[in-house]
Amino acid sequence: MTEPITIAIDAMGGDKAPEAIVEGALRAVTEAGVQILLCGQEDALAPLVPAGTEGIAIQHASQVIAMDDEPATSVRTMKDASVTRAAEAVRDGRAHAMVGAGNTGATMAAALLRFGRIKGIARPAIAVVVPAVAPSPQLLVDAGATVDCQPEWIVQFARMGREYARTRLGVEEPSVALLSNGEEPGKGDDLRKTVYPLLEEAVPGFIGNCEGRDLMTGHPNVVVTDGFTGNIALKTAEGATRAIAKLVFEVLDSTPEAREAAKVVMPLLLERAHYIDPEHTGGALLLGLDGVCIISHGSSGATGIVNAVRVAKEAVETQVIARLKETVSGAR
Amino acid sequence: MPAETHMSNGDPVDPAEIEQLIRERLAEILEIDEAGITAQSRFAEDLEADSLALIELVESLEEELGERTVGFAIDDDDLADLRTVAEARDYVVSRLGGPTG
Repeated sequence: MTEPITIAIDAMGGDKAPEAIVEGALRAVTEAGVQILLCGQEDALAPLVPAGTEGIAIQHASQVIAMDDEPATSVRTMKDASVTRAAEAVRDGRAHAMVGAGNTGATMAAALLRFGRIKGIARPAIAVVVPAVAPSPQLLVDAGATVDCQPEWIVQFARMGREYARTRLGVEEPSVALLSNGEEPGKGDDLRKTVYPLLEEAVPGFIGNCEGRDLMTGHPNVVVTDGFTGNIALKTAEGATRAIAKLVFEVLDSTPEAREAAKVVMPLLLERAHYIDPEHTGGALLLGLDGVCIISHGSSGATGIVNAVRVAKEAVETQVIARLKETVSGAR
Repeated sequence: MPAETHMSNGDPVDPAEIEQLIRERLAEILEIDEAGITAQSRFAEDLEADSLALIELVESLEEELGERTVGFAIDDDDLADLRTVAEARDYVVSRLGGPTG
C-alpha cells in the first residue's frame, strides 16, 4: 500500500486566512485524496476543524508573517512563523509538499532557506499557469520571484519551465519564447538582447521572442522572462480581464433588451468563466528549489486552496523535482 | 598578555579559514566561480548578491560555525554594515572571539 501524500499548508497566509484556507484544506482531504498538515496558531485553527475529522493534523506555529512584512528578514527573525513551519515539515519529511497563499516573498524565502536550491540553479522562479481561452494553457516563468535577473538565470528559468510544462500542461515538446517588445530577434533591452542567443543555444523548443499580446493565447507554451516584467505582465493580464468582464456585465445590464439577452448569454459566460478564474489555475510551482512549494493567489478562497493542493499532489506524483534536477544536470 | 581565543572544540580562530568558508558558501549560493570572489569583493556591487542571498549566507555560516561554537549567531542589526567579504570575515572572527584581519 502506498504512503498517502501529505501537504503542509500555511494556514495563516492569505487575505481570507485562516477560515477559507482551512475550509479548502478540509475539502482537499476528500476531493484531492491527500492528508493535510495545517501550520498556524492552534487556537485559531482548531475551532475550524470539526471534531473527528480524519486526514488533518495541526502543527502549532505562534507567529504570522504579514503581507507587507519584509520577506527575507521576516523568515529569519520569525522562526516560529506558520510559513516557516510548513517549509520545515517538508524539509524534515513530515510532508511531501507545501502550499502557501500568504506573503509571496516570505513563502519563497522560507522554502528557499529550508529546502535549499537545486544545484546549478542560482535563483528560483515562479511558474504560473496563465488563464487562457485556448486549447492549451500557458506557463509564464518567472512571474515575480527574481526581479533583478542575470541573463544566465533566464536561461535556467526557460529550461526548467520547459520541463515543467511537460507534466503540468501535458505537452511533450513545449515551445518556449522570450517575452519582449517585438518578435524580431533584435528587439528588447540589453538583457533581452543578451539572453536571446543564449536561449537559442541552450533551450530546445526556443522559437524566438513573443509579445505581451501572446499571453492567454496558448502559444507559445512557455513564456520566459525576468521576474519584474513577468509580474507586471501577469498583473496586467489579470487587470485587463477584470476590466473586460466588468464591461460585459455593464452592457448586459444597460437596457431592457440587453437584460433579456443576458438571460441567454450569462449562463453560457459563467459556464466558461473558469477558463480565466485564477481560483481554478491552482497555484504556481516555485522552480529551482529542492522541494515542492506551491504559491497560491493571495486572494485564494477554499476552491483556490483545493486546486493548489491538487497541483502540489500532482507535482509530487510526477516527481517534478527529480525531473528538474535531471534537466539542470543535462541528463534530460 | 591577553588570553588566546579558541573555538569551543579547541581550534584557534583562523581569519583565513573563515574567509575561505565565506567564499565557498557565496560561490555555492550565487552559482559563480569561487576564484572570482576576493576579500575586497562587495556583496551588492561586485557579486550582485541580493538580500535573500545574504540571508542564505548568514544561515549557512550559522549552521556551519554553530556546530563548532555553541550559540554562534549573526546579529541581524549588523548585516547592513557588512558590505564586503573582508568585513564579513572580520565580523565573524570577532563574534568567535578571534583576532580580526
